[in-house]
Amino acid sequence: MKDFADGYLSKTHFQVTNRNVPPDLKEKNKDNIEQMLFMHVEESLDDSQVDGVCATAEVIRYEYHVLYSNSYQVPVLYFRACFLDGRPLTLDEIWKSVHACYQARLLEGPWDTITQQEHPLLGQPFFVLHPCRTNEFMSSVLITSQKENRCTNYITSWLSIVGPVVGLNLSLSYAKLASEQMLI
Amino acid sequence: MISYLTLVTDKVKKHFQKVMRQEEVSEIWFEYEGTPLKWHYPIGLLFDLHASNTALPWSITVHFKNFPEKDLLHCHSKDVIEAHFMACIKEADALKHKSQVINEMQKKDHKQLWMGLQNDKFEQFWAINRKLMEYPPEDSGFRYIPFRIYQAATERPFIQKLFRPIASGGQLHTLGDLLKDVCPSAITPEDGEMKTQVMIHGIEPMLETPIQWLSEHMSYPDNFLHISIIPQPTD
Repeated sequence: MKDFADGYLSKTHFQVTNRNVPPDLKEKNKDNIEQMLFMHVEESLDDSQVDGVCATAEVIRYEYHVLYSNSYQVPVLYFRACFLDGRPLTLDEIWKSVHACYQARLLEGPWDTITQQEHPLLGQPFFVLHPCRTNEFMSSVLITSQKENRCTNYITSWLSIVGPVVGLNLSLSYAKLASEQMLI
Repeated sequence: MISYLTLVTDKVKKHFQKVMRQEEVSEIWFEYEGTPLKWHYPIGLLFDLHASNTALPWSITVHFKNFPEKDLLHCHSKDVIEAHFMACIKEADALKHKSQVINEMQKKDHKQLWMGLQNDKFEQFWAINRKLMEYPPEDSGFRYIPFRIYQAATERPFIQKLFRPIASGGQLHTLGDLLKDVCPSAITPEDGEMKTQVMIHGIEPMLETPIQWLSEHMSYPDNFLHISIIPQPTD
C-alpha cells in the first residue's frame, strides 16, 4: 500500500429511505498520487435530480472519504450524513441507520466501532469506522487471494467489507476491474 | 492544562444552569474571540495556539445554545472523553511500539490511566504510563514519535507524519530535525527574522533537544507531543 498522505477519495451518495440512488463518484486527490481503481459509475445522479425524488420521502446525503492512517498503516473510512436541509445526523441516528444485519455484531463487542472524530485534513467532524482490527480481517483476504493467484485491489476488498456497514455499497463492476488491471 | 475542557467544567455548567431555563440549556461549548474551542484538544494546547501571548487567567466564553455542528465534536457524556483519550493513547502506542505495550495491558490498567487523568492523580497515572515510555534495551528509542504540529488559521488542523527518533547512523534526531522534515516553514526565517515560535506546554524548547527525550518527558497524558507554531509576539 502506498502512502497517499495528503489526499483522500471521496464519494457522495443520496439515499432515499429504503431505496439506494446510484452514486456519483469523485476523486479528490490533493497530491498527484497513484491511480486507484475507482471509476465513474455510468448512471449518476446530480443534485438537481434529487429534488424531484424527495417529495414525500426523507433524503439523506452521505459523504464518504477514504483516508490512510500512517499510525495503523491501514485505510480508514470517514463519513458524514445530513438531511437535505443541512441538519447533520446524530451518532444515534447513524447507529440506527446501520443495516439491520450488522446491528447485532456491532452491539456485541464490535470489531470496529463508529465514533465522531475530527477529519485530519478538513478539521470538521466526521464519523469514523475505527481501524484497529483492519489488519485482522484483511490479512485473511490477502492470504487467500495469493493462494488462488488472484489479483486483489486492497482498497476494493477492504471497502467491500467495511463499506456496507455504513451504507456504502460497491457495485460488482469494481471487482471486475480489479481482475482486469494491474495491482498497485 | 493537560486535561480537557469538558472534563473540568462541571462546576461551570452547574453555575450557569442555575440562572437558565431548562428548555434553553443544550450542549455546553466554549469559544475564544469568535473561535469555537475544540474540547478534544488538551487545554494547554488550546491556550498555546490561541492565546499564549495573553496573561492568565484565560477568559473564554461559555455557550449553551447554537452548538456549532460544523466545527466541534459532540461531547454528551464523560464516556466520550474517555473514548477519545484512550483512542489517542492507543494510537500513540501503535506508533511507538506497534501497539504491543498497550495491548498487553489489562482493561484495569487502561482504566487506571483514565482515572488518573480524571482525578488528577499523578502517581496513579504514571504507575501505568511509565510502561508506555519504555523501549527494548537493544533499541535507543521508540519506533516512531507520536506528535502533531498545529498552526492557527490553516484549514488542515494539524500535521502528523511518521518520524523516527533515531537516524540510521544511530544519532538521536532533534526537534529541529523533525521540523525541518515535516514543517520547514516553522524554522525558516523570513527577511532574516524568525516570524514564528515553536511552543510545547507554553515554552520554547531548544531545537537541539533530542525528540526521543521530548517524547518521554514532554508529551501530554495522551502520549502525544502537541507542538504549536505561533506568530512571534510583538511587544
